[in-house]
Amino acid sequence: MCTRSMGRSITLAFGAAALLGSSTASMAASPRIERHFVVNGRPVVVIQNVANGRIEVKSSKSQEVAVIATQNSSKINFEMEQAGDRIDVTANVADASAPPLDLETSLQLTVPEETELQLKTENGLIYVEQVMGDMTLESVAGEVHLKEVSGYIIVKTTGGSLVCTQCAGKLDFNSVGGSAQILQPALTNVNLRTTTGNILFDGDFIRTGLYSMKSGKGLVEVRFSGNDSFDLKAQTATGTVDNQAAAFLKPDSHGTVRRFGSKFRGLFGTFGAGLAKVELSTYSGTIRILKRD
Amino acid sequence: MQCRDVEEVLEQDGLAPLPEAARMHVARCPHCRGYLADLETIVSTAHELPAEVEPPSRVWTSLLSQLESEGIIKESAAPAKVAPASWWDGFGQLLRSRALATVTVGAVIAAAALLQLRQPSEKALPPVPPGIQVTLEQLNQQEGLVRNMHLAGASPVDVALEQNLQQIDDFIADCERHLKAEPRDELAREYLYSAYQQKAELLAAMMDRGRSVN
Repeated sequence: MCTRSMGRSITLAFGAAALLGSSTASMAASPRIERHFVVNGRPVVVIQNVANGRIEVKSSKSQEVAVIATQNSSKINFEMEQAGDRIDVTANVADASAPPLDLETSLQLTVPEETELQLKTENGLIYVEQVMGDMTLESVAGEVHLKEVSGYIIVKTTGGSLVCTQCAGKLDFNSVGGSAQILQPALTNVNLRTTTGNILFDGDFIRTGLYSMKSGKGLVEVRFSGNDSFDLKAQTATGTVDNQAAAFLKPDSHGTVRRFGSKFRGLFGTFGAGLAKVELSTYSGTIRILKRD
Repeated sequence: MQCRDVEEVLEQDGLAPLPEAARMHVARCPHCRGYLADLETIVSTAHELPAEVEPPSRVWTSLLSQLESEGIIKESAAPAKVAPASWWDGFGQLLRSRALATVTVGAVIAAAALLQLRQPSEKALPPVPPGIQVTLEQLNQQEGLVRNMHLAGASPVDVALEQNLQQIDDFIADCERHLKAEPRDELAREYLYSAYQQKAELLAAMMDRGRSVN
């Protein structure tokens, strides 16, 4: 396995000589590697990037995966491999004692519109734009920005935040300290959980959709539109519920608050016909409910 | 009252005596009667489960070998080298199984939390179930190891991980204080167990990172 791994390795020193076929390499001395992988169906791109830096994924109409890796030093080893429609890209730190600047690297990918992604990094931004397909994005401290993506989207960070603009499909976000901003979504299933981060959901609730947003200590803010239709449950243990849309919400149509009695801190309400289900909770933070103009 | 309302009542109040409206609905609804019967079976079975289960060590060994055979984790390195290994090599071997154990501990906590949340609400809930105390102690021991390991690391990622671990610890302490005062606050309990699980996952990630960097 070690030998095979070494065989796959493309380092800066040997990269230019090792690139074959459709691969296009820059000069050996340049800290840049470019490779192209022709694919047939819907590719799966797997990136393991342990270094600091940015991963950017955009789509194009062509049936190929293009990878451009740039770095500040030779302290990073890249391995790139194609197995059918699966492309594996791994960046390994060759010298952990090198200064952080030397360990910076960035990956720029162009993929077909329908592509599955599995990206894992420690630091630096993950940016994905106009890609349709299931994706799992993991980061320690880096942020994750998604724009016009759709599919089953799983984002897991420890400290990094998520900004999801015009996303569609299903979204799972789990973080310790990261925040989540969901803007203009077309998501039918949303599950956001953070311990200390904030959550902002600014957009429409799809009818029959399920939306769960939980923050241990942060702010959970929802801004809905006049066209929405949802049942709302907002609950806190020691925090507050700031309902700035009380005039638009029909209160507690199921009588649930009475069942909870005086212990319950929160509210139930229905907007429109109550087609979607929205659950907001915080342990000690604030839940804010707003209706957009 | 509709089926959905009955489900909601059951979800919130458990099998405690149902409100009159719910009873009337159940009496004429075969779907809800079946649902209720299923729930009663599940609860009665759950009550028969032992309160505290300590898996024997062979379970861990078996689990470890199965994961290794499936290639999910790497095989333990054979002691081929005669030369003394570095301190980190030895520590890495130790943590290889500990990382697995940590995640498992998180899963055990989460499962126990679920069971705990499904208990009838009449019973007062203890702050921490006794069966979990042992695993929590293990979690704290591993935290000590990880913290020592990361003291040497000053990279932005190490710093971020340390901060996140501290945030979780603070949050857990906060939840535990609250639950001592209000042991029946199920929302706080849910957050507490979720934080335990997150902590287990975070410790496992820190251990893995320690191995890959060193």
